[in-house]
Amino acid sequence: MSANEPQGVSRRALIQAIGSAPALAAAATAATEANAAEQSAAKPPYRPKVFDAHQWHTVAVLCDLILPADERSVSASKAGVPEFIDDWLDFRKREDGTDMLASQIMGGLSWLDQESTRQFGKDFAAAAPAQQKQLLDRIAWPEKAAAEDHRWVAFFNRFRDLTVSGFFSSEAGVADLPYLGNKAVGEWKGCDPAVWAILEQRLGG
Amino acid sequence: MQVKSSPKPYDVVIVGSGAGGGVAAHVLSLAGAKICMLEAGGWYDAAKQSDMFKWPYNAPHRAAGSREKPFGYYDATLLGGWEVPGEPYTQAPGSKFMWYRARMLGGRTNHYGRISLRMGPYDFKPYSRDGKGFDWPITYDDLAPYYDKAEELIGVFGSAEGLENTPDGKFLPPPAPRGYERVIQRACQHLHIPCVPSRLAILTKSIHNRAACHYCGECGRACAVNANFSSPGVHIAPAMKTGNLEVRTGAMVSSVVLGPDGKARGVSYIDKKDRSEQTVYAKVVVLAASCCETARILLNSKSSGAPDGVANSSGLVGRYLMDTVGSAVSGYLPVLEDLPPQNEDGVGGMHLYMPWWNYQAQKAGKMPFARGYHIEIGGGRSLPGAGTLSGSERILGGGYGVELKRNLRKIYGANVHFAGRGEMIPNEKSYCEIDPNAVDQWGIPVLRFHFEWSQDEILQAKHMQETFQEIIAAAGGKVLSSAGAAENWGISRGGEIIHEVGATRMGDDAKTSVLNGYCQAWDCKNLFVTDAAPFISNADKNPTLTITALGWRTSDYIIDQMKKGNLR
Repeated sequence: MSANEPQGVSRRALIQAIGSAPALAAAATAATEANAAEQSAAKPPYRPKVFDAHQWHTVAVLCDLILPADERSVSASKAGVPEFIDDWLDFRKREDGTDMLASQIMGGLSWLDQESTRQFGKDFAAAAPAQQKQLLDRIAWPEKAAAEDHRWVAFFNRFRDLTVSGFFSSEAGVADLPYLGNKAVGEWKGCDPAVWAILEQRLGG
Repeated sequence: MQVKSSPKPYDVVIVGSGAGGGVAAHVLSLAGAKICMLEAGGWYDAAKQSDMFKWPYNAPHRAAGSREKPFGYYDATLLGGWEVPGEPYTQAPGSKFMWYRARMLGGRTNHYGRISLRMGPYDFKPYSRDGKGFDWPITYDDLAPYYDKAEELIGVFGSAEGLENTPDGKFLPPPAPRGYERVIQRACQHLHIPCVPSRLAILTKSIHNRAACHYCGECGRACAVNANFSSPGVHIAPAMKTGNLEVRTGAMVSSVVLGPDGKARGVSYIDKKDRSEQTVYAKVVVLAASCCETARILLNSKSSGAPDGVANSSGLVGRYLMDTVGSAVSGYLPVLEDLPPQNEDGVGGMHLYMPWWNYQAQKAGKMPFARGYHIEIGGGRSLPGAGTLSGSERILGGGYGVELKRNLRKIYGANVHFAGRGEMIPNEKSYCEIDPNAVDQWGIPVLRFHFEWSQDEILQAKHMQETFQEIIAAAGGKVLSSAGAAENWGISRGGEIIHEVGATRMGDDAKTSVLNGYCQAWDCKNLFVTDAAPFISNADKNPTLTITALGWRTSDYIIDQMKKGNLR
């Protein structure tokens, strides 16, 4: 089964993998169908619950600066990361009974706009790539950042985490890593001998 | 499945359908007893309801844990958690106990970690060994044959190691270790810490017509093919086939009904469907509602003949409540960076673990705390969900862009986690009682918890923190999260590890215990307890296997006593 087939278990592949196990095949088929139904269900366009239109646009720009498309996978916004972040902030607000996280994220986005406007006369999303880079370089490296920027460093750490976990837990991100499990394995053999050979070498025999 | 009105008296009524209720129903129904089992939650069939193979990206919030679903959206616990809607509990000032309940057929066995460790000979006589806590009224040899039976029925993998106070069992073959586990094992060798195959109730071979594991790594979602142990699949389904077991769901038991002779006549429950009160009459009452719920039922069973509750002439129902000591550290091992991808799911849990290794040092008085812990490990290329690759700046220093994306691929799978699970010594300050005012939505008075760790537990957590950091260092890694003195060494909250035991302790003296050596109430000879409430101590060996073995032994005793006419 290839990495770009993250649905995992086709019935045929499963039966090949495990021989005859009808109960397992039935369970796998049911899950595959549930996964597929979830994927193909016609969904209305996402309406942000937390962000306003301007923030929503800025979030997409910032996500893609953090995780752009490359030769292996799409960009964060293409993988649905802005939707994940908006939903996550709403979820945490309800779950934690506080909007500290949403405030931190919105506060950081405001700071990016304010700082960009002060320096470049344009808000962050409208600034030139080099200008965006200049601002991000100030807050993207915690050890190198100025002490007075610590709040914006904390914001960026948090925003990067949301982008990263939103991306790599998406269907595109799972295939990118790749994560190769969540499926039936006929025979468990433990660590691949080729991988163990590398580890042994690194461990010094 | 759920016949409501049954005027006939049963031989046995069992309260609860988890590990303790399940094993009693299994053993007693196969012996021919007519049983009514009462479960406070709903029916559950993993074959139809397990979320096996589903993807976090198809779940709300990437299947993250919530108050409603603490172990994630796909966790098997349908209704339950540390908060159950309409079923509160309260805290004494200064206490912060957490009480996890799973309101469903099979209770917590549907989602639990399946760690199946026998208590050892020392664990039954801890007071004799170090002067703290109390001895059990039974020995390891009394329970060993029942550990054999339990392991053969539920299916436990492991390996014979012959380690001190870590008895080997009737094991299925263990699964081969994952790469990161072998790296940790090597680090442990340098530190002289044993790191051996774990012991989990998951089938590495088909037994009793149950399928072998297919290694999807998500046992917590419940297994649709019954390849891991759960009470519904392993105990209750075969028990129902005998025709001797009737299960009533949505039956929230409030009290034990006593007859004028002081014996139990049955139990009363609230039918959650219409909130009516029902009574089931039986010759024998078995409580297995979970440690604290069992104590709650007894304490709420007040009558003129039992002013402090049933089976409570000692005043010890609810007392000496224990949980397991927990503390955790996570780290990053550069040796695991940028390896060729492989599927590291395996079984739902660790393939290797570290049993306690300092028994002799403790005996010689060389350790600052009394009892041991084992180490559980995790890591690797695990199923991505909310939180995946979080905190990457601690490893990469920060960054963004294409370079960050490439670096994240390299560090995926190189995190490792260590969790200690240690023994708590029972103390006077940790107990549950009935809250004088609060009730749940069924009108049943609720529990109020008192809980306090002693220095033994806190210093044990300190030792965990130091040891895990040493292992990470020995593996050439970096500690990512840990806890120091200011955080009390990261010690868990009472109840957080979900190993509550001890609230109806057994013993050999009616004045200092609630139950005798067969988990039979001193005050009420046809009343038995088969959950973890009879435990006298809480060794670092997770409770479920001992619940199963002890419940089996109690059930055999019930059969014997019924045959002899001693319970009439």
